[in-house]
Amino acid sequence: MDTDKWFSKLLDEPLNELVQKSMDEGQIPIGYSCSYVPEVMLSVDGLFPVRMHATGIAGTEIADNYLSSVICSYTRSLLEFALDERYDFLRGWVFAASCDHLRRLYDNLEYLKRPGFSRILDVPHKTGDAAINWYTDELKLFAKALTDHFGVDLGADALAKAIREHNAFNAVLRKIGEYRSGDKPVMTGTEYHRLVIAAGTSPKKPLLPILKKIRNDLPKRDPLPPYRARLLLAGGHLDDPGYISIIESQGGLIVADRLCTGSYPGLLPIPETGDPIAALAKHYLTKTSCPRMMEAFRERAEDIVKLARECRADGVVIQILKFCDTWGVEAAAFVSCIREAGIPVLRLERDYRLGGEGQLRTRIQAFIESMGK
Amino acid sequence: MSTIKPGLSDYLLFNKYRAINLMNIGRMAAKHGPLDMHRDLKRYPWIWDLLEVNALLKRLVEGRSGNYRKAVAMVTGGVVEGVIELLEGIFYRSDRLILHEDLLPPEIFRAMGLQPWVPELLGILMPMLVPDTMQKYLDAAESEGIPPDICSLPRATIGMALKNVFPEALAIVSSNMPCDGGMSSYTIIARQMKKPAYWVDIPFDFKNERALDYFAGELKDMIAWLEKHTPGRMDWERLKEICEKRNTMAELELDIWDMIRHRPAPMAAEAIWMSHLWFFNINPGYDTSIKLFTDLKDLTQKNLEANVSAVPHEKYRALLWNPPTLHYIDLMVWAERTYGVSLILDSMSFNRQPFIDTATPDSILKSLGNIIMQGPMSRHTRGPAEANYFPDIFHMVKHFDLDMVWVAGHIGCKNTQAMSGVLREKCRDAGIPLLVIDYDLMDSRITPKEGIQEQVGNFMENIMKAKRLF
Repeated sequence: MDTDKWFSKLLDEPLNELVQKSMDEGQIPIGYSCSYVPEVMLSVDGLFPVRMHATGIAGTEIADNYLSSVICSYTRSLLEFALDERYDFLRGWVFAASCDHLRRLYDNLEYLKRPGFSRILDVPHKTGDAAINWYTDELKLFAKALTDHFGVDLGADALAKAIREHNAFNAVLRKIGEYRSGDKPVMTGTEYHRLVIAAGTSPKKPLLPILKKIRNDLPKRDPLPPYRARLLLAGGHLDDPGYISIIESQGGLIVADRLCTGSYPGLLPIPETGDPIAALAKHYLTKTSCPRMMEAFRERAEDIVKLARECRADGVVIQILKFCDTWGVEAAAFVSCIREAGIPVLRLERDYRLGGEGQLRTRIQAFIESMGK
Repeated sequence: MSTIKPGLSDYLLFNKYRAINLMNIGRMAAKHGPLDMHRDLKRYPWIWDLLEVNALLKRLVEGRSGNYRKAVAMVTGGVVEGVIELLEGIFYRSDRLILHEDLLPPEIFRAMGLQPWVPELLGILMPMLVPDTMQKYLDAAESEGIPPDICSLPRATIGMALKNVFPEALAIVSSNMPCDGGMSSYTIIARQMKKPAYWVDIPFDFKNERALDYFAGELKDMIAWLEKHTPGRMDWERLKEICEKRNTMAELELDIWDMIRHRPAPMAAEAIWMSHLWFFNINPGYDTSIKLFTDLKDLTQKNLEANVSAVPHEKYRALLWNPPTLHYIDLMVWAERTYGVSLILDSMSFNRQPFIDTATPDSILKSLGNIIMQGPMSRHTRGPAEANYFPDIFHMVKHFDLDMVWVAGHIGCKNTQAMSGVLREKCRDAGIPLLVIDYDLMDSRITPKEGIQEQVGNFMENIMKAKRLF
């Protein structure tokens, strides 16, 4: 099996081969769209989570009529796919009230196309005790709604088991990620991102043995051919490895990422002790490092700098989706913080749909050259 | 344009308010002294723009007469007095000055003996006075990497912070209201001003006791934080007094809203929306605010009893959704005279007007929290739109007997832009004519005044089949 091709194919369609197989076995797919949605809660007792994506979307003409063209293209693409019946296989979806765009996507979907189960989680914008308590209560209500609708068991034992499985799965992915960050990387950022995205958009159970095999085989691989610069890729939602591929085609190897849909902080382990729902609330609230969280700019900026140093990145590329208010504003401040730390930084704005490849290549080339690489 | 021409008494009234405004400004300058005034004019160059208030007054009373004209002049004059009080706060009480996001309750800051300053205030006020004045601040923000698609209000506010034209404050208090752009702007503002900042979190799903408790807790924590970082101390008796006076204002406003349900409306436009915008958001609980609403109510009552329409030949009654067109603030003056459109109410004023339960400190905080969560901008950007956004629009249309909905479709307001498609379909189903004006709140380079007029004209003549009145 050509693993690369197989994983690429998994990303071609929301309803991919593994999703279909799991559904045929009686498993229930639930869509979600934001890292604040605890996918662990959708991984219990016959449910499985599918991170919603719209890879290969050609245009958003119908969605633009509803959401307008000044809304982030990820949410517009999701709406377009929903209206094009591409998510009809989902038995429900869960959104987070994490940003204006996703909130309004939810509002539009409630009017235009509502599946059997539809929920929006009220995620606080802070991480103190009161906020964690709030989110714990919110997740309890969510658990009850899932149980009432699907008849699934979201009791403490079931959730604790789901957390353990989630951590074990992510540990494999994290280990694989180390092979792109070492002194002599054997894996490209593109390849790794493909695995991470496939893991989010496919059922995990059938994927785990394949990932384990990849992990076991990686030490035997030859190092990658020489590259010009080691880069850290930061930013919000990015589910298209093709974007990273363009960066890497210019010699900028992505050795680490800090993306909403990436390995950090998304793959960090969830504490396995104590009340599982409280642990989930605290984990997702405090570890999902999105600019929609107030008061934590400094930590986010320091986190990027720290990660860049840890992976010995020559520079940082910040990619943001156009029209994203939170990343749009905060990226301006990130740029100066990262520069102040003495690390070269490039900020890129992009559409969800991959386009402007020539321009992207030129920007990356210029950036790498500006670093003297 | 209109066949109704203001009489001598209208002319005298305009000059009276013009003189009062000049006198108030002159008194402030004299009190401050020439040297300090000179220094502060250099430090805060936007003060020059504020001196254009009488030009604004002239534009707003143009073609209006009688009690309506008087009401608009009174509100404008009240705003001038309010601005002067804020300026004097900068001049003389800078040791107690804090910056706070525009939807946070000033009642609390006043009760703590602090001098509040709303950074967004200038972005709202100045384009009304000088339509293109915010462009330099918008450009300054963009030069620093702030995306041009962010709402121009927070973008201009960021620009002002970057150009260092805000007063020095002890601390900054912000929140996640009303939108992501507004929320995020304070990251830049706090960083630029190098001041301690505190953020208040307002839940998305706010219509329940859990949300009220959470938000009241947030307000409590904010008070504790302010007591730690400023000399302000909470005086609960003072807060109670302010809130009771605010309740009086709300009663008066509800009486006015009751009267403007009458067709033709005895009061309209700025007398309704500008009074709410300023006095409920900047000066709630002031004796002068109560006096203003008492006078507004009297003028409305007089018109109602005499069956006098505020807008001569009122033909159409409109709801304005979203903030008014700031850089073309006299849009309604033009629409009144050109088509007989009477702006009855707007989304920035309308709220479910909950009163404040002043029984205990806890009940006050809960009530204030409820007012904010149930208030304009906050209510319409959170909670499912199906529960708040559309029901409010259709309730207002029915309750105030309105003929059409105008959405001031500010390009930077993504919350509104993203609902326009569904709103269009819902209005069509309900048989309510809908106009969405494409423009930017404060950047006339996007859509100039003439472009707004053209959109309104096309709608009025093609959809409403209106004839021009001149």
